[in-house]
Amino acid sequence: MSITRLLIANRGEIACRIVRACRDRGIESVAVFSDADRDALHTRMADQAVGLGGTTAADSYLRIDRLLDAARESGADAIHPGYGFLSERSAFAAAVVDAGLTFVGPPADVIGRMGSKTEARALAETAGVPVVPGGVAPAQDDKTLAALAASVGFPALIKASAGGGGKGMRIVRHAGEALDGIGAARREARAAFGDGTLYVERLIEESRHVEIQVLADTHGNAVHLFERDCSVQRRHQKIIEESPSPAIGPAVRERMGQAAVALAKASQYVNAGTIEFLVEGEGDAARFYFLEMNTRLQVEHPVTEAVTGVDLVQAQLDIAEGEALPWTQNAIAQRGHAIECRIYAEAPEQGFLPQAGRILYWHPPSGPGVRVDSGVETGTEVTVHYDPLLAKLIVTGATREAAIRRALRALEEFVVLGVRTNITFLANVLRSETFAAGRVHTRWVDTAMESLAAPPPAELAAAAAQAARALRQDGSSGPHGAAGADAWRDLTGWRL
Amino acid sequence: MNAPKFYPVDFPRSGYAETHPGKINRVEFRVEDRRYVATVAWEGRRAWVHVGGHVFIIDPRDSDDPTPGASADLDALSPPMPATVTRIDVKPGDTVVNGDVIVLLEAMKMELPIRAPRDGIVARVNCRAGELVQPGTPLVVLE
Repeated sequence: MSITRLLIANRGEIACRIVRACRDRGIESVAVFSDADRDALHTRMADQAVGLGGTTAADSYLRIDRLLDAARESGADAIHPGYGFLSERSAFAAAVVDAGLTFVGPPADVIGRMGSKTEARALAETAGVPVVPGGVAPAQDDKTLAALAASVGFPALIKASAGGGGKGMRIVRHAGEALDGIGAARREARAAFGDGTLYVERLIEESRHVEIQVLADTHGNAVHLFERDCSVQRRHQKIIEESPSPAIGPAVRERMGQAAVALAKASQYVNAGTIEFLVEGEGDAARFYFLEMNTRLQVEHPVTEAVTGVDLVQAQLDIAEGEALPWTQNAIAQRGHAIECRIYAEAPEQGFLPQAGRILYWHPPSGPGVRVDSGVETGTEVTVHYDPLLAKLIVTGATREAAIRRALRALEEFVVLGVRTNITFLANVLRSETFAAGRVHTRWVDTAMESLAAPPPAELAAAAAQAARALRQDGSSGPHGAAGADAWRDLTGWRL
Repeated sequence: MNAPKFYPVDFPRSGYAETHPGKINRVEFRVEDRRYVATVAWEGRRAWVHVGGHVFIIDPRDSDDPTPGASADLDALSPPMPATVTRIDVKPGDTVVNGDVIVLLEAMKMELPIRAPRDGIVARVNCRAGELVQPGTPLVVLE
């Protein structure tokens, strides 16, 4: 069933990325937009754009009824959910199919199955994929739970079964802390979720986040496209991803790929998906444990595209049309090194506070080995309503060192004025010894903030003040009729 | 007509800044053997400047304001974005030390401390707990 007109149920950079895929494929694209996104880049890029009304995500991009109306109105025959929003909502996938449209993603029942942490974990165990040691206690009394913690090993993590967001979670470092931890976790779990059921997992400290991209077709074929290392995170959110991972050896890479394909097959997976693993240790001594599966395209998918040469969105569309995967596992190779930096409108030195405002000037980098997937341009109003991701910079190099140098070059070329971004912060991460050595764990950014958010050199601050003063004085730009030239003398009131 | 203009500068040592009438948002610096290119965008009287991979926000100092550092105070004591006041730690007459948290704000579910930009005495408190405050309005005035 060929797709001729694709509705993109998303916004920002990923909507623009999918519009481009439609152009490359020679099919039509339909954008949807909220009231706040009337003038957004994705709204103007697509062949058609349909308003959803509303401003908040709940009133616009999360409205299944309005999205289906938009598909009908525009004559779309398929819907791509992008990432976030409704992409992992099985009810959405089901509603799209019920409306007679093609959903570019896995079947609704697979989304539901893999979306449940306990079901996904059980399935992983059946498929022989390692999971973090632990489990639900056979009984919920203190003694049974404490015994389970002891058998799982310390440090252990006591977690609420119904939990999320760190509530009802306690770290127990030795047997003596077990009863206190169990009691506290149970009280929190009852208060937050109305359910005090606990389970126990071994806490793996200073671990890395390494995930495997898979593609599976409707004919029962599945392949992996190697790994992405997403260990550079701030507050549990990825900011830099790379492939290959500097942490794992070739034998572990091979085993992780096989485990991912086994799980994809066991879950009867279809389309693009990502299997996330927690990794401890290094090289071929590294151990990996299944974390969860993301049943959609990932933000960081271009990293995989860069090292494998596979266009993942085209592959998703081919699979959705019922085509068989064109390659066997052996035909897919990982070449060179790719790094993605997520460009966020945020102030790292203020606890990564999201920033809003109008982009006065936007100049992305270019040149060899540089790709920028962006959802904004000069003049775009960045609002508080949605995720503050502005763009993704993806660089490639023959080696990891070359890719790091190229990423630094590109970040320095990247000029964004009018809204503060994390660009300088990303460069500080790439320049750090820890990153260069490939020794980043998922909590590292939070512990290294002092050096990563260091203030800029004073001479650059002086140069910036002089630049503003020079332009104001010669009258070639600047605020006419505002402050006199005197106001620009001895400027010191800069801030980052 | 299209001649560049040169301005003496003194960071970190002496050199010059060069502007071109045709490049209204660009300033080039030559300081001894080093070269910087600055890109500038204006937001009212405020300049956003990119130079050497860093971005700076430059506010003109108001030359007829008699209070030294008034502009720096204004910046430091105003909310950076619309926010709600959750706590006020000072009252008029209090002595504050550079770096003290004097007001705590909340915006986008995040805590945002407002700190004293210098040592001083609190002259006035311009906000109440629970109030929604806007950028450009100092929450506290120092003597």
